[in-house]
Amino acid sequence: MRINAVSTKPDSIAAMPMTRDAEWAQFTCAMASRRAFLKAGLAAAAVANLPAAAFAATLDYALEATQIAPDTYAVYGAQEQFSVANGGNIVNTAFVVTDEGVVVIDTGPSLRYGEALKALIRKVANRDVVRVYITHHHPDHMLGNQAFEPSKLASTETVIANINSEGEMFAGNMYRLVGDWMRGTEVRAPGTALTTSHERFGDHEFEIIPLAGHTSSDLVILDKTTGVLFAGDLAFLDRAATTPHADIAVWQQSLDQLDKSPFKLLMPGHGPAEESHRAIEQTRAYLTWLDRTLKTSIRNGEDMTEAMASPIPQEFRSIALVRDELGRSTSHLYPKYEEQMLPLVSGRS
Amino acid sequence: MKAILTAAIALLWLAGGVASAAEPPADPLKSVMWQQMYEKHFADKPVVFDDRVSVIAPKSAEDQTTIPVTVDASALPGVREIVVITDLNPIQKVLSYQPTQAKPYIAFRFKAEQGTPVRAAALTEDGVWHLGGIYVDAAGGGCTAPALAHGKPDWVSRLAEVRGKVWRKPGQSSAKLRLRIQHPMDTGLADGIPAFYVESLEVQGRDGTTLGKLQIFEPVSENPVLTLKPQLGPGDDRVIVKGRDTDGNLIDAVVPVNTQASALDAKPSPIR
Repeated sequence: MRINAVSTKPDSIAAMPMTRDAEWAQFTCAMASRRAFLKAGLAAAAVANLPAAAFAATLDYALEATQIAPDTYAVYGAQEQFSVANGGNIVNTAFVVTDEGVVVIDTGPSLRYGEALKALIRKVANRDVVRVYITHHHPDHMLGNQAFEPSKLASTETVIANINSEGEMFAGNMYRLVGDWMRGTEVRAPGTALTTSHERFGDHEFEIIPLAGHTSSDLVILDKTTGVLFAGDLAFLDRAATTPHADIAVWQQSLDQLDKSPFKLLMPGHGPAEESHRAIEQTRAYLTWLDRTLKTSIRNGEDMTEAMASPIPQEFRSIALVRDELGRSTSHLYPKYEEQMLPLVSGRS
Repeated sequence: MKAILTAAIALLWLAGGVASAAEPPADPLKSVMWQQMYEKHFADKPVVFDDRVSVIAPKSAEDQTTIPVTVDASALPGVREIVVITDLNPIQKVLSYQPTQAKPYIAFRFKAEQGTPVRAAALTEDGVWHLGGIYVDAAGGGCTAPALAHGKPDWVSRLAEVRGKVWRKPGQSSAKLRLRIQHPMDTGLADGIPAFYVESLEVQGRDGTTLGKLQIFEPVSENPVLTLKPQLGPGDDRVIVKGRDTDGNLIDAVVPVNTQASALDAKPSPIR
């Protein structure tokens, strides 16, 4: 279901108390849903005394560039789950201004975000984009691709294949979760599959480091000129790691490799950029705990709902969304672990 | 789509003021389908909403093909049967469980075609249905997506394979049985794939006594994983599991009872 033909102001919907109608609209049918959204839009319009169409223009990510190193800017997203209120802007993107043009890392959750990012780059750097690296195929990192030239978009062959096979499903789900912010967004896989280990743009040299674990292919970029490591979602900081396509053992190996990388600053996919190795250490410790907790639950005869309610250790309680992500990760990993761990009991009688 | 049509028809009925056979109690989940659910599943039977029937599930499904649910009616004495129904699934009935010699407790996973109320109805000896429930939000398509098994070469050779384990504290009759059955559980709603699912399952003690009986329907997830709490006698060193699918393939397993296991006693302390 795509709610892309309705102009309204999601902020005011989010702020409105959910009426029974609006609640039901979420799960009865597209018609009812559209009606409720229109109703909410009209109510908002009446309050502001403006035509409903005017609200489309107010969906604004208000992106800001934060300089984190020479020539290097972070565009930080909220440490939240996807919502109508945040428009899917829960992700970090970044760009590096070289004297040949701008190199971008990830494009955000929607066409609207991609366009806002491009406008921000134009404002800060006033240069053309020469390269856009896509770290992996998750929707918050690549649904803004449409705003950029296809041949400038680059990633690993596997990331491109993953976007082609799963992108549509992600996009559909994003329309459901954040609504009108997604309007016009279509899936675009990068046009360039990276084959070299380095790329140079003007005065910056980028090392291309294909790793895996968060998904089946995670592209890490090290700017050798500044020492900034763009770790994508292999590293989370102060926000719980997500696991819909994770292989935790492989992920841990990738973290070991990142730990050895001679970076000066680490930019995680979610959370602040820091000079320290904290993002690597925290992600590693969290994944170790997560894996152990789920396996222990299986050994103790628990079902998924019980594993989801496992206590959160003190050291992770200040990390955003740990309880949510434990629940989601249980859904992702528990069935696989059960298949591996429960003993075979048929064919024995 | 079917659910949407049925929902629309139900709305028409309400709007048209068609009189219902019986007046059900007000639904705490405020489902548009409640009147129809009541007439279809509980017509002319006494129904009460009862907090003692606890339904535990995530508020929002991460994977609409594998939504975990635990139903626990242990606080309610004399439960004969537990029926699980989902208002807004194209196939509403998920399973029916008779805990003959077991606690009225079952954990399972189901597929949702869209967000839906999940209800457990526990029938007590006096003929009253006690209902508990929760609303689970979900993305679409859980029932109409083909099973993942069809993409894997070994699905036929492993069909009806059972994995499982019994946990029992020394000296206690109540045990915990967990089972995983390899099966695609095709709903018949995916294009070109007929319905094909495990339809019945019985758990027996070592002498063949029935401990619990299950009727299973299409919405139960692929490779069903079930948790039950059978009552075992002192000499029960094994639990027998027998069942069949809609094509007559048999499910047959013997799960050893390990009384040494003390793992049930405590949740491990967090690392470090």
